[in-house]
Amino acid sequence: MAEQRVAVNPGVVDWSGENPGIYLRDTDDGPWVTLSVFFRVVLSPFGSGHAMLVLDEPDTGKGWPDVRNFIVNDNEELTRYLIRDYVSGFPSFRDKPGLEAMSYVPLDTVTCAGDPQSEYIETVTAQDLMARMTWSETMEPMAVEVTPENSATGKHDMYSLFFEARQAKIEVNGDRLSGNVSTRQFFGKTMSTAFLAFSETWAKPQ
Amino acid sequence: MPLSTPVNPGKIWWSGDNPGILLKESEDGPWSALALFFRIVYTPAGRGSALFLYEKPDVGASLPDVHNVVITDNEKMARWLSDNFVGSLPGAFSESAAYKALQYVPLTDAVVSGDTSSRYVQRVKADGIDVELIWDQLGTPTALELSPEHVGTRSHEVFNLLVESRDASIVVNGRRLLGQVVPRVQAGVQTTTGFVYFSEVWIEP
Repeated sequence: MAEQRVAVNPGVVDWSGENPGIYLRDTDDGPWVTLSVFFRVVLSPFGSGHAMLVLDEPDTGKGWPDVRNFIVNDNEELTRYLIRDYVSGFPSFRDKPGLEAMSYVPLDTVTCAGDPQSEYIETVTAQDLMARMTWSETMEPMAVEVTPENSATGKHDMYSLFFEARQAKIEVNGDRLSGNVSTRQFFGKTMSTAFLAFSETWAKPQ
Repeated sequence: MPLSTPVNPGKIWWSGDNPGILLKESEDGPWSALALFFRIVYTPAGRGSALFLYEKPDVGASLPDVHNVVITDNEKMARWLSDNFVGSLPGAFSESAAYKALQYVPLTDAVVSGDTSSRYVQRVKADGIDVELIWDQLGTPTALELSPEHVGTRSHEVFNLLVESRDASIVVNGRRLLGQVVPRVQAGVQTTTGFVYFSEVWIEP
């Protein structure tokens, strides 16, 4: 028998917004060499805001400017909540020394450009930083809906619109960071490690 | 609650934020003013922002007489939304005299202020037009996953996040339009015609 939808999710909504990412490796079976995620949050217990996280050296316990491990943001309370309750639980970021040591840098500007059906770009600037994430060669969008068993945190229901990207890059102050887009098992299928995630809502089951 | 299959097999129709305000002067009266704002991340016609404003829904005219307008930074996308979505909604948005008279006006600015826990404001500007959509007395955010029988088009699945408003207003060039929000029911939820919908994903099953 087909599953029946329950129209109203009884869970408590944590946050909603956008959460695209780019995870890069040098080789398909190698470790992550560069990790980046972006947040555009429209609703949370700590208000709205933006954050771009870049770990150029995920396994190095140092922050900016020693290494390019930083999170540029315009709402530090929200950002620390997202790192503590979400990113630190994502499998690719779990126990990474760079996540613990990264610097929290106040954001000056944030702009998005392009179109998710071709090339899409998020750019942030701070006092001495310009960081840019670019996705291209995107695939058909798909809607995902996951229970805690399948969500990145293992604790939440999550709804989102996903575009996989075959190509992506991360740049900091004009330098392209190392690594290539790879694949991972996610949502029960093989997916690109570069993705646009829009219209995302996370809820804690009750 | 999400179904156990993570990837929905349907085709994406459009996605984005879609807050709105529908006002009446009395609960059993006609609509006195309507506003539907789109912050679109995906349509087949591109992304962008668009405000569908019906200052006088029963008047089949537009500028300079009345602000029955679509203010947008992507007219191709806005016309796609009009032809495919707004025009397929039963009721005032598609059936009023204003719908056929809507004039398209370039958007010069779109700014959000306030907070989703108390008062949320979407301001939209065009040449000579300054619109504020104000949602007050906001409710608890609720994640919805709607089957076709629960949505306006009757033919799509929708994921979205509803924050209801019990007191919403539309202000055009400093003048508050007539009317107030009225009760409505969606998918068994008692709510109002003042709503902030975030993170909508419309799916063709």
